[in-house]
Amino acid sequence: MNTSKQISQWRIVAASVCGTSHSKNQQLCQDAHHWQLLANNVLVIAAADGAGSAKLSKVGSMIAVETAIEYLSRQEITSDTLANDNFLHYLLTNAMLVARNAIETEADVCNHQPHDLATTLILMIATPQIVAVAQVGDGLAVARNSMGNLIALTIPSSGEYINETTFLTSADALETAQIKICREEIVNVGVITDGLQMLALNMIVGEPHKPFFFPLFEFVANAEDRTLAKEHLMRFLSSEKITQRTDDDLTLVLAAFIN
Amino acid sequence: MIDTFNLDEVVEFAENPEPRCPCVLLLDTSGSMQGERIEALNQGLLSLKDELVKNSLASRRVEVAIITFDSNVNVVQDFITADQFNPPILTAQGLTVMGSAIHKALDIVQERKSQYRNNGIAYYRPWVFMITDGEPQGETDSTLEQASQRLQGDESNKRVAFFAVGVESANMSQLSQIAVRSPLKLKGLNFIEMFVWLSASMSAVSHSQVDEQVALPPIGWGSV
Repeated sequence: MNTSKQISQWRIVAASVCGTSHSKNQQLCQDAHHWQLLANNVLVIAAADGAGSAKLSKVGSMIAVETAIEYLSRQEITSDTLANDNFLHYLLTNAMLVARNAIETEADVCNHQPHDLATTLILMIATPQIVAVAQVGDGLAVARNSMGNLIALTIPSSGEYINETTFLTSADALETAQIKICREEIVNVGVITDGLQMLALNMIVGEPHKPFFFPLFEFVANAEDRTLAKEHLMRFLSSEKITQRTDDDLTLVLAAFIN
Repeated sequence: MIDTFNLDEVVEFAENPEPRCPCVLLLDTSGSMQGERIEALNQGLLSLKDELVKNSLASRRVEVAIITFDSNVNVVQDFITADQFNPPILTAQGLTVMGSAIHKALDIVQERKSQYRNNGIAYYRPWVFMITDGEPQGETDSTLEQASQRLQGDESNKRVAFFAVGVESANMSQLSQIAVRSPLKLKGLNFIEMFVWLSASMSAVSHSQVDEQVALPPIGWGSV
């Protein structure tokens, strides 16, 4: 435990909690997240928000995050391949495609339509030198560089109306996906689903809200005990301060690179 | 360190304006509405306000505007959130320039949307709720036809959701030619029940999350 401080590594804390509007109706949390630490300090993260209107969106969001991370974990991600933007594009696009195919297969097996498993998806590949993100639908991915700047990697993509967005199962999902590659010295990354958007994003200027993310980044940087940290994060996401402002499902994935 | 780290106290939230859920009431105040019809409508408007403010989120998100049409078209109430809304007392006289009224409703919806966008306010699909007891009168056929065509374009492009409600002697077959959705016939002068339904529907919409198709409550106050 004491030696861990000397090793350069990612610290990750992540949680999905059920929104009060869903728990009131005894619905499941339709958000899902997954992450994995690969060799050479490559961190892969996925977060998904199942559509409120879709019957099996909980299944859709879980399949999406698990399939995408499983796919990414099997790829040859080295400092050589990471140097190539095209390769990163290819990886992220394929991961979305594989996730979509898995949803379509599951829908087929259960005699449902893919849109019954509709979900958004945010994928991130992060190393201390680079962060690459793909996003279908709303939610938000951010990074903080060593200069202390907060970088909006994606912005929520909703339609004209706040209650509509694009899903992984939509016809134009991959064509309209946001893909961003940022080559900087990365200290923190964060991914949220749309339930936290109004709290984490300044809608007027369209920028992530620093006083939201920075204390959370400090929190994860100090999270030596991952289990305890997750409990803290879940308690925070369920706190009255948050539930007063949003009744949707909430997902927050935070990481800090500790040198 | 982590034991004492209270996220509640250190994380600050962005202060964003509430998303808005605009609703235009397009009300026939022509001569035929005189008497108990306009009185019932005025009572109905009061119940709309009462119902909306019962729901704290809806009262901050639902924006009501009122346009009346008789021989003229008047915006008697520009968009205002439900908590600030004071229902007007309407009187009835004159003809029924419905086509011009529909144009005006679509105009103010369009203007409101650009105000929302310019101010970084998220919004839901606007509703226009037209109530009439008659048929278009006092304007050229082409005005009505243009209004109807514009409305059909706006519906199919999801710019607006337009509902027409006929009261008593309303020309229902003509209403069904003007609007895309089937017009509803109000049972008697049951405006109160209709506005309670409207409030419940707008509340449901204003609570909906990103991506939700909203199921509206059943309609007990009218028939197709």
